[in-house]
Amino acid sequence: MHTGFMTGRQAADTITGTGGQRQTPPKIMVSKLILVGLAGLLAACSTTPPDERSDSRDVFENTNRSIYAFNMAADTYVLEPVADGYRSTIPEGGQQAVNYHLRWASMPSTAINSTLQGKFENAGLATLNFLVNGLTLGFADLTQDHDTIEQEDFGQTLASYNAPEGPYIMVPILGPRTGRALTGNIVDFAMNPLRVFGSGDEVQTVRQAQAPLGAVSFRAKNFDAFNDVKYNALDPYARTRSAYYQIRLGLLEDRVGGTSPTSEDAFEFLFED
Amino acid sequence: MPLYRTLINRTLIPCLVSAMALLAAAMLPASASDRQSAAITAVGSLISDVEAMLETPDADRDTRHGAITALLDTHFAMDSIAAFSTGPYWRAATPDERETYKSVFRDVLVGTILNNFDQLNGLTYTPGKATPKGDKFVIVSGKFTDVTGARPPVAVNWRVLTRTGKPVQLFDIEIENLSLLVTQQQENVAVIRKNKGQFGALITAMQTRLSTQ
Repeated sequence: MHTGFMTGRQAADTITGTGGQRQTPPKIMVSKLILVGLAGLLAACSTTPPDERSDSRDVFENTNRSIYAFNMAADTYVLEPVADGYRSTIPEGGQQAVNYHLRWASMPSTAINSTLQGKFENAGLATLNFLVNGLTLGFADLTQDHDTIEQEDFGQTLASYNAPEGPYIMVPILGPRTGRALTGNIVDFAMNPLRVFGSGDEVQTVRQAQAPLGAVSFRAKNFDAFNDVKYNALDPYARTRSAYYQIRLGLLEDRVGGTSPTSEDAFEFLFED
Repeated sequence: MPLYRTLINRTLIPCLVSAMALLAAAMLPASASDRQSAAITAVGSLISDVEAMLETPDADRDTRHGAITALLDTHFAMDSIAAFSTGPYWRAATPDERETYKSVFRDVLVGTILNNFDQLNGLTYTPGKATPKGDKFVIVSGKFTDVTGARPPVAVNWRVLTRTGKPVQLFDIEIENLSLLVTQQQENVAVIRKNKGQFGALITAMQTRLSTQ
């Protein structure tokens, strides 16, 4: 889920002044309100006592569960119906073009983070992809290399330098993150090519549409799996947390087929008798 | 050096060492390659049975329910799966709770597969390599591909239980780095912990879930 990115980006626009002089006063008010809201949220983030946690890693569980409930309500009323409509009305080719563009937009981040992690071949491929597919703003995959490039984010870079994982945080609208992954998202956000190099109204329109489009595209691609968790799980929050940690660990370890995400120690208790 | 000591040093000790080595070799579980072959066969057998089920799209819900139940009982180590899915709370559960849980857990699983069975239509399976994990498991990798191209290929790992003298059975399915069993376990443990460690609360939650399937 990424729909809140738009709000954050608008706030950032206001702070950096890209929104234009004439509209500055009301936008500053909005950004102040957002900052006050975030401060309030952080203040409300009291730790959950260890004996009340359903997972020892989830130190803010009670607050996280409240935010999760809010996110699911937002999903029910906004994202799910929009994603459903997107799936049924946008032709497959159009959806694919959106996927290509969103992936292309992450290539500078992938190139830089791959370099920082010592994955120079991946960095080279990402750079080539970015330059060639940039001719179409990434909406077409001219390089046909979508299976060969591993997307790398700054959270993975931080992990490769042994930065601590940080707490599990359910971010409003954005969804689950570890503290490290959230920090990485902020840095990656700044590497958006349209933010750095883009100019002109059309480019800015595309840039502003990226976040909501990304959210809708993600939700549409995972529509059934997401709904299965949302509507069928015994504890959707716990299942989401488990899935997030496992998928994130897979990314951090660059795991490929044949490599299991589960430690063998996890099974030992079954065979102790 | 006395003759008897020479005999011990040069003959008896090497003989004893050889005998112990032979004994140890005989006690080792089946070779890794045998376990890998058995695991690949087990996955292939499951895929064949699923494909046979997909060839009868007109089967009614009851028939399919029975077929999926048989599929689980034949190919999956259901007792071990049920035990693992509750983590450390399995040991604390009473025998009655364990039996009730095993039954309701299997019913929920069958219901979930039944409700999503049509999603398997149009998928082809390509087997990959088999990798031994410790002395009990083999991971068999593979890939599901949508023949229409509408869905991207999905990498899957089958965790197969290969214990010496026991049937070779599937234990877990890992899809794109996500273990279904570990996810279920963490969810179940969360339900129990949120209910002050009551194993019965998980059974109640599962029964409620079952009634809505």
